[in-house]
Amino acid sequence: MSIAAISAVSDSQIAAVRAAHPGAFATPAATIRRWAPLAIAIIYIIGSMWYFDFGRLFDSSERVLRLLRSFVVWRDMDTWSYSQIYVGIAQTLAMAFLGTLLGTMGALFVGFLAARNVMPVRVVRQIVRRILDILRGIDQLVWGLVFVRAVGLGPLAGVLAIFVSDLGTLSKLYSEAIENIDRKQVEGVRATGAGQIGIIRYGYIPQVLPVFISQSLYFLESNTRSATILGIVGAGGIGMIIIERFRASLYDQVAFVVLNVLILIFAIDWLSKRVRLWAIGEKHDA
Amino acid sequence: MTYTPMMGGSAGASGGAPDDAVATFERHRIELRATKRVWNILALVIFAICLGLSVWVSRFYPERLADGIPRIFEYFATIMPDLQWDALFAGRTEDGSAVPGSLTYWYTDFWTYLTLIFETVLMAITATLLGTAVAFVLSFPAAANLAPNTWVYIVSRRFLEICRGIPEILLALVFVFMIGIGPLAGVIAIAIHTAGALGKLFSEVNENASSRPIEGITAVGGTWADKMAYAVVPQVAPNFFSYAMLRFEINVRASSIIGFVGAGGIGQELNRVISFYSDDRVLAVLILVVLTVTVIDLMSERIRLGYIGRENFA
Amino acid sequence: MLKLDKLTRRFGDNLAVDNANLDIPDGQMVGIIGRSGAGKSTLLRLLNRLIDPSDGQILFGDADIARLKGKELRAWRSDCAMIFQQFNLVGRLDVITNVMTGRLYDLPAWRAMAQVFTPRERAFAIQALDRLGMAHTALQRAETLSGGQQQRVAIARALAQEPKILLADEPIASLDPMNAKIVMDALRSINREDGITVICNLHTLDTARDYCDRIIGMQDGRIVFDGTPDLLTTQMAREIYGAEAHEAFNEAATSTSLGASSAPVRASA
Ligand SMILES: Nc1ncnc2c1ncn2[C@@H]1O[C@H](COP(=O)(O)OP(=O)(O)OP(=O)(O)O)[C@@H](O)[C@H]1O
Ligand SMILES: [Mg+2]
Repeated sequence: MSIAAISAVSDSQIAAVRAAHPGAFATPAATIRRWAPLAIAIIYIIGSMWYFDFGRLFDSSERVLRLLRSFVVWRDMDTWSYSQIYVGIAQTLAMAFLGTLLGTMGALFVGFLAARNVMPVRVVRQIVRRILDILRGIDQLVWGLVFVRAVGLGPLAGVLAIFVSDLGTLSKLYSEAIENIDRKQVEGVRATGAGQIGIIRYGYIPQVLPVFISQSLYFLESNTRSATILGIVGAGGIGMIIIERFRASLYDQVAFVVLNVLILIFAIDWLSKRVRLWAIGEKHDA
Repeated sequence: MTYTPMMGGSAGASGGAPDDAVATFERHRIELRATKRVWNILALVIFAICLGLSVWVSRFYPERLADGIPRIFEYFATIMPDLQWDALFAGRTEDGSAVPGSLTYWYTDFWTYLTLIFETVLMAITATLLGTAVAFVLSFPAAANLAPNTWVYIVSRRFLEICRGIPEILLALVFVFMIGIGPLAGVIAIAIHTAGALGKLFSEVNENASSRPIEGITAVGGTWADKMAYAVVPQVAPNFFSYAMLRFEINVRASSIIGFVGAGGIGQELNRVISFYSDDRVLAVLILVVLTVTVIDLMSERIRLGYIGRENFA
Repeated sequence: MLKLDKLTRRFGDNLAVDNANLDIPDGQMVGIIGRSGAGKSTLLRLLNRLIDPSDGQILFGDADIARLKGKELRAWRSDCAMIFQQFNLVGRLDVITNVMTGRLYDLPAWRAMAQVFTPRERAFAIQALDRLGMAHTALQRAETLSGGQQQRVAIARALAQEPKILLADEPIASLDPMNAKIVMDALRSINREDGITVICNLHTLDTARDYCDRIIGMQDGRIVFDGTPDLLTTQMAREIYGAEAHEAFNEAATSTSLGASSAPVRASA
């Protein structure tokens, strides 16, 4: 039985096939079901374009041009206070470093408190976890704003903001790493008659340390990125310089600083990839 | 004849005594430990220098910290609401004013907050949809195995990298300047960042797609677009969906703070109450924000798991 | 009539196909045999232009297939269907959509993108599936089918292309003997009843002898044998297969000679 060419398929044949395999043909219901998500998305987007007034995007051409021009045309470059800019960048790195370090040290302690297999008292564990949830639930930038109000403008607020939000996230990650360890090694240490501290030192730490280190390094990287914007709320670092000069309409300087920040971010990305590879390699021959 | 476990036959055959091998091993071990010690000391020194520099540059001195910490606790005390148990659920009095100590008093501006939270969620949805659409389209030319030619590949990759590289809040700052204060600036800023972040993830998913169906569609005479639509999209759709939902969760957070620079949403109000008042209003808004983020996370997780579950059983 | 003229393909220094000259008249069923790495797959992929030749010509009528580009190239691919060892279906699409992808070349772009198919196309796809006894699976996902069933769907997809030539690259190499026979019978019926030229890479000798009008033997990229099955002596076959002769003659795994075999000459191992 050879099949005819598609052009030779007659209407009666189509009808016959449709009768035998009704599911293989598009029904109105199936068509609607297929297109509904897309239609809803498009209607939603049109609605929200109206709600958010997307038209404004096209009324602003004059300001856009002015901004773009000053982003590209840099004037009076010798009067820009470069030392301030690079101190700001150094401050950003310092904030990230100190914040991550403090967060890691805090998480080393809190992580064990929140781990099921180390902290047997359920109530303590639950309280610690809920507090961590709250620390994580509030954005780093909000913490920055809050600490600026509490301790004043400057990098101290930034370090505290990074510390608090890292404490929330790292403690959770650390406690998960602790919960996922291999029980047998811990049993081995316990069998030697070690106390609780000894068990943690020799049974847990060697297993979780590589995970801890790589997670903290990863956080160091992402904190350098987020530290650049903490200054926008006044919490120190390069962000403060960006927003100051932006408010003063020095857009060419803003462009210069942002360019520096982008280069910094790309450099940090690259460096941290290297360091992590190196750290993992080190762990291999250890 | 004694058996020397550490030695291969060849070592014995070459005439070396067992001590030789042990000595070599020992020497090797000592060398190894020495180099390791050098590295460890070096790492320690670098670490100490970084620490010292950081403390100096950010003026993170103990006395400043000691000054600051009590003030933190003072601040947190000031933002606590002053709730009285007997008045907690009291409504408004006849003249329309709320009783001090009641929830109504604490959340006087509740409806303003709620409207702003609604706006925040809308911002997140719109930005996620727009960003995902761009990421979807660009993820095919930005995948090494799918790109029609090297030029398109490089251009789309770089474009996505730039979109991802600039922090949202900086973009928002620029858009607020260009189109004025309001949620539109926030939506565009988040959408651009979403396009970059998702575009990268999507293109990585694409790079892991099996080439067999693609070859199949090539062989029937399909165009590049046909190959993407029929051979790649069905493979990657579930992953794309999960990533987009995860991004939506992130975007709800982003849109709740992007108002700090005037780009709409609850962040604008949060910034206002934190910067101008230190009273219970700060906590009132913060609680609502955390609640919103948590609820959205839970909902999105259910949708994600529901979808993936359905995919697996279909 | 398909004509290969000095067709060559290099991978670096490696000549995968070396100066192949062939005339294949319409409606022939051709089997290509050779040991692993002989260049069989490369030759078929050259014909379908999944890879580009380094040298030489592929002539179909007056057209030089080796130089086609863009839409004309896709037109050729749609005329010259291909079946793969691993089926190359889209696992997550349902069977009927997989078959209808065979129509993609003729579809206007918007219909292709929106996956809108006419009742005629659907009916045609079901007929193609029905011919291979697979119509009942039309709404199933392709990845839920067994290997043999998937290969039959792949053949239905090829039929949906209304091809002039059907290329099959080891279509039965990952199938059990039962399914292998079903698939080879289907290819033969397509060749006999529709008059479509079938060119088929085969791993085992007796399948080639059973089904093909003509056998082409390849060795290190070169065509070393070209003739009817009865011209292929055991001696010749041994030479083509070299060290793999034992396996190729004693195929338990991928043979189609299941009981009903009308195997003419069987080489004794
Ligand atoms: N994409 C490629 N890149 C480099 N070399 C290749 C490529 N494809 C094939 N080759 C080489 O070309 C030669 C022929 O390979 P081909 O796949 O055509 O052999 P085959 O006869 O189909 O073998 P098999 O029976 O194992 O499928 C081999 O030496 C192979 O290594
Ligand atoms: Mg092959």
